[in-house]
Amino acid sequence: MLECLLACFIKPTLAQLVERRTVVVAEILRSLVRIRQANSLRLYLTCIRNTLEAAMCLQNFPCQEVERHNKPEVELKTSPELLLNPVLICRNEAEKCLIETSINSLRISLKVKQSDELENILTKKFLRFLSMRAEAFQVLRRKPVQGYDISFLITNYHCEEMQKQKLIDFIVQFMEDIDKEISELKLSVNTRGRLVATEFLKQFI
Amino acid sequence: MAAVSVHQFAQCITCHAWSPDHSMIAFCPNNNEVHIYKLLEGKWEKIHVLQKHDQIVSGIDWSISSNQIVTVSHDRNSYVWSQEASEWVPTLVILRLNRAALCVQWSPKENKFAVGSGAKTVCICYYEQENNWLFWLPSVAMDFENRSEVRQDEDEKVGSSNSNPGDFGLGPWGRGDEVMLGKKGNSLTTGFSRRWVSKLIRKRHDSSVTSVAWHPNNILLATTSTDGKCRVFSTFIKGVDTKNPAGSSDSKFGEQIMQLDLSFSWTFGMKWSPTGNTLAYVGHNSMIYFVDDVGPSPSAQSVSFRDLPLRDVLFVSERMVIGVGFDCNPMVFTADERGLWSFLRFLDERKPSSGAKYGSQFSETFGKLYGQSKYGSNDINETSKRHENCITSIVPLKNEEDNTTVTSFSTAGLDGKVIIWELQKQHDLLEYL
Repeated sequence: MLECLLACFIKPTLAQLVERRTVVVAEILRSLVRIRQANSLRLYLTCIRNTLEAAMCLQNFPCQEVERHNKPEVELKTSPELLLNPVLICRNEAEKCLIETSINSLRISLKVKQSDELENILTKKFLRFLSMRAEAFQVLRRKPVQGYDISFLITNYHCEEMQKQKLIDFIVQFMEDIDKEISELKLSVNTRGRLVATEFLKQFI
Repeated sequence: MAAVSVHQFAQCITCHAWSPDHSMIAFCPNNNEVHIYKLLEGKWEKIHVLQKHDQIVSGIDWSISSNQIVTVSHDRNSYVWSQEASEWVPTLVILRLNRAALCVQWSPKENKFAVGSGAKTVCICYYEQENNWLFWLPSVAMDFENRSEVRQDEDEKVGSSNSNPGDFGLGPWGRGDEVMLGKKGNSLTTGFSRRWVSKLIRKRHDSSVTSVAWHPNNILLATTSTDGKCRVFSTFIKGVDTKNPAGSSDSKFGEQIMQLDLSFSWTFGMKWSPTGNTLAYVGHNSMIYFVDDVGPSPSAQSVSFRDLPLRDVLFVSERMVIGVGFDCNPMVFTADERGLWSFLRFLDERKPSSGAKYGSQFSETFGKLYGQSKYGSNDINETSKRHENCITSIVPLKNEEDNTTVTSFSTAGLDGKVIIWELQKQHDLLEYL
């Protein structure tokens, strides 16, 4: 696979290949086009998964500033030495993921793709619906971070209670599903709109 | 199979310690209690629950010679527990901290212990000599609510003892627990009857102290902190430590011997090698650091590895270190003849042809199971024998005949398991022991 990719990207080699084994290359190119879309999502999610795997090394850590308190440092940001560099993973301008890590907590903020007005409003409503029920999801933050659509807050307590791998799976699954969910919503809104319009216009016939 | 036995004691274990004869284990099940289990007729049974702290217990250490347990907690307090008859009696140690205590360790001679704290300080606690009580009392008294009462009582006692010097010398003071300060049986808090005193190293640390380690000479103390630095201090206390003719004699209490700024991230889990020549600690950037020639011109080696960061380390011998952490599998680091450290392998690595090497029948069956599911990562049999969450602590189990090398040790993790590991059967590791 890697060889094929390399062959396709290096143009002289590609030309040579086309001359020699046209059939094979054409096939590869066709399949590449087909899987490019799915691939870029997979790469994006894999990148997020790997980053989360490394970032989710949390431990119990009491507050240095306030006596007898224990708070997620990523929210307080009072001691800069307890924070790690935030990681921003972008698929494109509209879709990105910000992962901020501290010694005892981790914040994941997502920006979901919104290509038009309708998707924009659907995303907003849907994610607001989820955020209002944050306690049911445990790791969901009640308010998204500025500039993002939805945020998760994972603390060391979550890591103690839950399996790390399952937590990461949940986040990635969520990201996979959210796009699907929004486009389904969009479809059903469109269908419904068409139906309503048809019904409404029937009276004029 | 390096793991000898696995015990699921609780949901989650933050720290653990063994009794001197390894018949009992004390651990914190991620709350404000300390549970003590004892091996009774082949089964581990809970025999004591130590309840005195009111926040999570962050450190436990069990002294070998005096059979005392010291515990520290996020509630800023520390207790020394000593066994009287069948009960564990707590003694409050006045740490004079205003933030959580994070770690504790007895010194090698067990006349002192060190507590690292979130207040960016280290406390050195020691047992004050009885006849010196007047000197510390006023300084500590301010930590108590009934300060004025103490002063008053103290004055009275001084008055009475002046009139009867013999009484003062032998003292009701020497009797430990039964001491009553104050007139006519008006006893004060139990903290007064036992005198664990704390001296603070206030300077230098820029962030929480995550780990402390005593040099075998009982004077030097190494600390790691979340500011990414590793420091070595002198903790010479007059009256407690005897002057050492060789080296370190001129260093006062709290003097910094060395500071290393190798890590870009938080540092944890520091240990000295058995002779005290090498110091090992880990950084959160998946690095482990080895420091030789501790002093004005130390030489350090940084070893990076590709897996998740470590939390704690243990020197098995001068040439072998076991590191545990977020990868849930102990890692073996070894030094070659020239003293260069490198990552050797995971301790729990399964080799395809390892079936023949197993000694007992029990482990042979396990070997078969492993052989079948060599590459299946989600196999139940496989995961049940090892940690499933971050390993937080590693404690050596001393063998009776030889005190210089450690061949078995125990690890405890956030999955609530305590696993005992044996190195004798690991043939490729024996040369490093």
